[in-house]
Parts: sequence; structure tokens; C-alpha cells
Amino acid sequence: MDAIMLTSFLRAIIEREFMQFALITGILVGLLAPIIGSFVVIKRLSLIADTLSHFSLAGLSIGLFLLNILRLPIGDPLYIGMVFAVIGALLIEALRSYYKNYKEISMPIVISLGTALSALFISLAGGFNTEIYNYLFGSILTVGRNFVYIIAITTVVILTLIFIFYKQIVIISFDETYARLLGIRVNLFQFFSTIFLGVVVSLSIETVGVLLVSSLMIIPVAAAMKIGRSFKTTLMIAILFSEVSVILGLWLSFRLGFPSGATIVLFNITILLGVVVMKKLFTRRNLEEKQEQPITVK
Amino acid sequence: MHIQISNLSFGYDYRTVLKNISFSLEIGDFLVVVGNNGSGKSTLVKCILGINPVPSKKVFLDGTDINDFKKWVKIGYVPQKMDDFNYEFPISVNEIMHVSKSSKVSEKEKLELFDRIGILELQNENINSLSGGQMQRVFIARAMINKPEVLILDEPTIGVDTDNVNRFYRIINDLNSEGVTIILITHSLQPGKANFNHVMHLHEGVAEFTSVSDMHEGGG
Repeated sequence: MDAIMLTSFLRAIIEREFMQFALITGILVGLLAPIIGSFVVIKRLSLIADTLSHFSLAGLSIGLFLLNILRLPIGDPLYIGMVFAVIGALLIEALRSYYKNYKEISMPIVISLGTALSALFISLAGGFNTEIYNYLFGSILTVGRNFVYIIAITTVVILTLIFIFYKQIVIISFDETYARLLGIRVNLFQFFSTIFLGVVVSLSIETVGVLLVSSLMIIPVAAAMKIGRSFKTTLMIAILFSEVSVILGLWLSFRLGFPSGATIVLFNITILLGVVVMKKLFTRRNLEEKQEQPITVK
Repeated sequence: MHIQISNLSFGYDYRTVLKNISFSLEIGDFLVVVGNNGSGKSTLVKCILGINPVPSKKVFLDGTDINDFKKWVKIGYVPQKMDDFNYEFPISVNEIMHVSKSSKVSEKEKLELFDRIGILELQNENINSLSGGQMQRVFIARAMINKPEVLILDEPTIGVDTDNVNRFYRIINDLNSEGVTIILITHSLQPGKANFNHVMHLHEGVAEFTSVSDMHEGGG
């Protein structure tokens, strides 16, 4: 039965273009999200992805309003969403430097502004419809060729930059003060990181939706950091967990007609729970083994 | 490296923390800065490191005004309690050194430093699995990796056991005897352990200097 289900899934990927687009998009987002997410988690900014996705929704809603009500030829509202995610990210940075001792205040301010604008323009654009539903919960099975090109180019650009500036990015994430001492232009790096974060968040919305974007970036990292012994292995494990969730999520949503974003996120959560339970069992067994060993006095 | 501070005052908002501090250090000097909590010790370090913005013509490093100084790899820094470092996310000792070292430092030189500081066996360990003493040695090695001419250590022995404190002083005394200028910030002076030649007592932002010969004459 499982073999038949798997065969039909593979056949669908080979035969149907929309499944190929969905798979490529899923794999690329599954790669990018935990990489960017790792740096976000290290800097203790896990809520930033949620904040930016909500702000990006404001852009998407404005895009729908301009397109559907004012009939302006703006193209895909995704581009406005992307611009808003970047504006939101820059706004957060500005607020974080303004409220130096209360940096976390920046998140609720930006998330509130984004949600309020979204509610306003969703209403002006004609209220809740399928497009809004897809923005909220993702629609990876409906992505088109152009989107695949955009995400492929973004992936190549971001991975190339991380490869070139790996040392600087890692040291800034772990220890900003020391990075400044090494003469690294921390503010410049942070400015560009913020822009790329906004871009990745807005692209991930197509996969799992506004409400679930942060889970794609944070949950695989949260699981990996419990078992990784070095930064690189933690990153690799996070990517592995993320890709497994994307592929299994796509397969299950194809078979059972479940929403793809929700299925991907639920697989991510299942892996996280599995890791937490295994880690606890492993730690307890290790402790018990140590207690059973006789104490020798030298 | 030659360090010169001229009439440096510094404050946060309306509170003046440092008041007209002036001193100069030559190559191979060992300065201990002593003072109670809140006396301005860490603020002074942050001014020397360029973390705190200071007006021009107040701090000179190798004759260059700190606002124009670019050769920061010449200065190694071990921060207080390693608070600035996020050591809860997995990263190995080797990875920390890899991202901290300049490309001019070879693998062989890195391993020799590890051996000297006593962290050779820790190089593949995750930073969050290390003890306080081991972590302190890792951060001293990080400060030394680019062969600095000045080493600034801000309260590096807090929470470290006696054996590791003794080991720490042996390492910095050796480095100083090789010509590395040392600035050690501490709340308690340990004359028997550190081979310092200048002592600065900071009290409410005002500096008082004691020469080592005066201390010996006074039986210190």
C-alpha cells in the first residue's frame, strides 16, 4: 500500500509540472530557512520571522487591493510583500537601536503595525478569500515557474554570500563586540542580513503561509541544537530535518489532500518532539550507567 | 604597542564614570587596574578598545588616534565573564578559532597555541560542554590567536578555581616576558601571582598610580 502511494507520488512528480515546482520550491526553502534561522536563533531573535511575515502580509494585502480593486497592473502581490518584509526588517533594526535597553519592544510594534495594515487592506480588497487563505496557510502546490526562478536565484545569491563571508557572519552572530574588535563592519553586515532575512521570510510565505513561516526557520534549528556538537553539524542536522519535513509533508498533503504548509510544520514538530524525548532518555541512561559504576578512591 | 591616554573623561547619560585619566604604557608593560564594582574599570577597557566612543586626541594606540586606528588585530581581548559570547548554541572550540583567526595564522601555529594554553584536547569540544576554567582558557587562546601586541583581560579569574587561576597567571606572565603588553582588570590585587610593573587604583572614576617599587618598599 505504502509502496503504491509512494510510486504514485513519484509519478506525479515526474508527470505533473506543478508537483515539480512544488518539490523544487520546498527543497530550496527547506535549505534556506534553517540556514537563515540558525543565525536568527543564535542572536536570540526567533520572533523576528513571525514579525516579518505579518508585516509582509500587509504588503500582500495592499498588493491585492491595488490589483483587484484599483485594477493597477502591479504584477504579483508577492513583490510588494517582499518589499514590506524588507521595510519591516529595517524598521525592527531602527527600533532596536532606538530602544537600546528594551530591544524586544521592536517586535510587538512592527507586528501590530503589520497586522493592523493587513486587516485594513484585506477589508478594502473585498474581505477574506482564497488568495488570503493561501497567504495565511501557504500554497506550495500552486507556485508557478516564475516563483521557482526567483527562489532559485535567491538561494544561489544567499549561499554564495554565506560561503564568501562565512567567518564574518558567524563571528557577528556569536559575539558582536569581538567582531567589532576584529575590524568587521558589523552595521553593514547587519543591514544586508536584515534585507536577506526579509526576502527569505516573504518567499517562505508561499510554502507554509504567514502564520507558519517562523516554524520553518526555527523548529529544525531548535531540534538540531539539542544534538549538534559543532556549528557546522548543527546546521547540517537542521537542514536534514527541514528537508525531511518538506518532502514528507508534500507527500502526505498530496496523498490525503491536507494543507501542505500545515503538514510540513507538523512533521517539523514531530521531529522536534522525537529529538527532545530521545535526548532525555539518552541523558537518563547515561546518568544511570555512571551511577552503577563503582567509585574508586585513588 | 605604545598606549597613551590623555585627560580621558567618559560618562553614560548624566553620570561621569571616568574623570581625567592619563597614563601611558610602553611595549612589554604589565598594568593592573584595581577597583571596586562600579569604579569604572570596564568602562576604561571599552574606551581603549574603541567600544565606547571617545573624543579625538584622548586615546592613542601606537601614536594613532583611536578614532583613526585600524589595526585592531594587534589587540587581544578577554571579556568579563564572556558575557558577550552566545555559548549556548553549539559551536566547537576549533570553529571559534577558525572564525576569529586571520588567514596569516597557520594551522601549525594554531595548534601550538592550543598546546601552550592547554586546550589541545578540547579543540573538538562544544563550547557549552566546557567548565569555567576551560572556557576561560579558550577565550585567552582566542585573544592570542592573531599574535596581538596588547592583551586586555577584564576580570578573567572570576568563578575560576585556584588551580586554573594559578595556571592563568603563569600563562600571562610568560606572554608578558615575551614582550606582550598586558592590561589586567581585577577587583583584587595578587602581587605574588602577576608580574605587573604598574598598578592603577580606580575609585569613583579617579585614577591613582602606584609603582611596583613603592609597593615593595611598603612591604606589599
